[in-house]
Amino acid sequence: MEIYLPVAEMSVNWLIIIALGTGVGFLSGMFGVGGGFLMTPLLVFTGIPSTVAVATTLSHVTASSMSGALTQWRKRAIDFTMAAIMLVGGVAGTLFGVWLFALMRRQGQMDLIVALSYVVMLGGIGFIMLRESLATLKAYRSGVTISSRPVNRGWIQALPFKMRFRQSRLYISVIPPIGIGFVVGMLSAIMGIGGGFIIVPAMIYLLRMPTRVVMGTSLVQIIAVTAITTVLQATSNYAVDIVLAGLLVSGGVVGAQLGVRAGARLRGEQLRFLLAVLVLVVGAGLAWQLVARPADVYSLSEGAP
Amino acid sequence: MKRHARRLAPLLLAIGLLAIGWGGTAQAQDLVSGISQDVVQITSNYTGTDIVVFGAIERELNTQNRDIVVVVRGPDEPMTVRRRDRVAGVWVNRDAARFEGLPAYYYLAATKPVAQIASREALARYGLGLQALQPSAIGSHHDPEPFRQAAIRYHRRVGLYTENPGSIDFLSETLFRTRVPVPAGVTRGQYNVEVYLFRDGQVVSVQSTPLFVDATGLERRLFNMAHDAPLSYGLACVFMAMLLGWISAVLFRRPD
Repeated sequence: MEIYLPVAEMSVNWLIIIALGTGVGFLSGMFGVGGGFLMTPLLVFTGIPSTVAVATTLSHVTASSMSGALTQWRKRAIDFTMAAIMLVGGVAGTLFGVWLFALMRRQGQMDLIVALSYVVMLGGIGFIMLRESLATLKAYRSGVTISSRPVNRGWIQALPFKMRFRQSRLYISVIPPIGIGFVVGMLSAIMGIGGGFIIVPAMIYLLRMPTRVVMGTSLVQIIAVTAITTVLQATSNYAVDIVLAGLLVSGGVVGAQLGVRAGARLRGEQLRFLLAVLVLVVGAGLAWQLVARPADVYSLSEGAP
Repeated sequence: MKRHARRLAPLLLAIGLLAIGWGGTAQAQDLVSGISQDVVQITSNYTGTDIVVFGAIERELNTQNRDIVVVVRGPDEPMTVRRRDRVAGVWVNRDAARFEGLPAYYYLAATKPVAQIASREALARYGLGLQALQPSAIGSHHDPEPFRQAAIRYHRRVGLYTENPGSIDFLSETLFRTRVPVPAGVTRGQYNVEVYLFRDGQVVSVQSTPLFVDATGLERRLFNMAHDAPLSYGLACVFMAMLLGWISAVLFRRPD
């Protein structure tokens, strides 16, 4: 059951890896997220070097996003103009992120940066989602419907370089989409995530895009960013393991489809509540690893510092 | 057991031939040795293997102070050891030491603990025993010793450094053999198998045989492609992911 990973240079049990891919794929299909934020820590936990885990998880995200994007495309629910504009920032962010990744790796701070970014992102997002879903659940129970569409666009409206986005029925500045794209591209390179759990809230609350096109557009953006990051990681850090990617993707695409069916049975706020709990648990686990005394305070890496 | 016997049969034959051949040139050589295979190939289901190092030594009256040490050394690999310290409650990598000249793999088998075989100086000269591994430290402004110890500790933990005294079997008065594990985590490259014959704490004979550890077939091609053609390798990864995603979307398409 062992298979040798040529780039990670180690043997793993391929059944465990496929099971991981399926499990994370199931959750990602159920919650409508890429699942990178779960996959990277889990891979590191099985002993795969964090550089390989970050770079290889991206392929898993590309595949599950591809699957979802095709469904959205059939419904004509994708704003390609918006995706293209965000991608301008995305490419710049990815380049910056891969450069930062290589720099951190030389400094020996890669693991710390990955873990810290995860704790901050997961803690923050998890907390916001938990609060929002609990409020909605409570409101649902007391029979009140609350509008989650704030009125005021404030500073976003005041920015220059405005452009018309036909599918989204928006006329806004290109600066916020480019900025969001940049941040997500950077995080994708450093953390091995697609960034769906940042793009989707940003599109809804910052850009005020109609919910109908948010899912499809964010998936297109994620496919592009993860594809570019995979190629950059392969060329500049040699950290992508194609055998590991193949195993993860095979499990992932099946799991994602099953997850979509399971998710259809639950209500939105219930899903968000479960996802928030999951996100917080992963974040707390990583935080614990940062503060707990390590078994050996010395660690070893091959090659030059 | 049966499988073992089959594997050992050619080996025993080799040892026998060796012993006969050696008989003729007894004056010239008091140690002859060989290995069961000189190439270890890493395939997709490689989980580690054993090689057998065997040999013959001269017959002599006093076997009391006669010792054999077998060392398998992997290629040297530059390594960086970092020490974590607590900064604001978080464990952060602080000091680091870089070493040149530490082997990626080190296995020692001996008739008894090396400290009892020869003096510390003699062991250091031949690099026998984990304590005799003295790499040069580069770019460290502090005492490199704890870092060196940590590097050795790490390799021992993952099974890449082993000191195994008392693991040499004597099949007869003159024929010996020992089993050397080549675990799954080994680095590719040229290894060296060295057999030392000690008498009264002095090296009287040394034999060295190269051993090659290499990936074969698909694994090797993928590794080479990742390093020689990283762009097409990365694009292949992306293409595979997109294709599988697309196939799954088509296969699982719901009637809508």
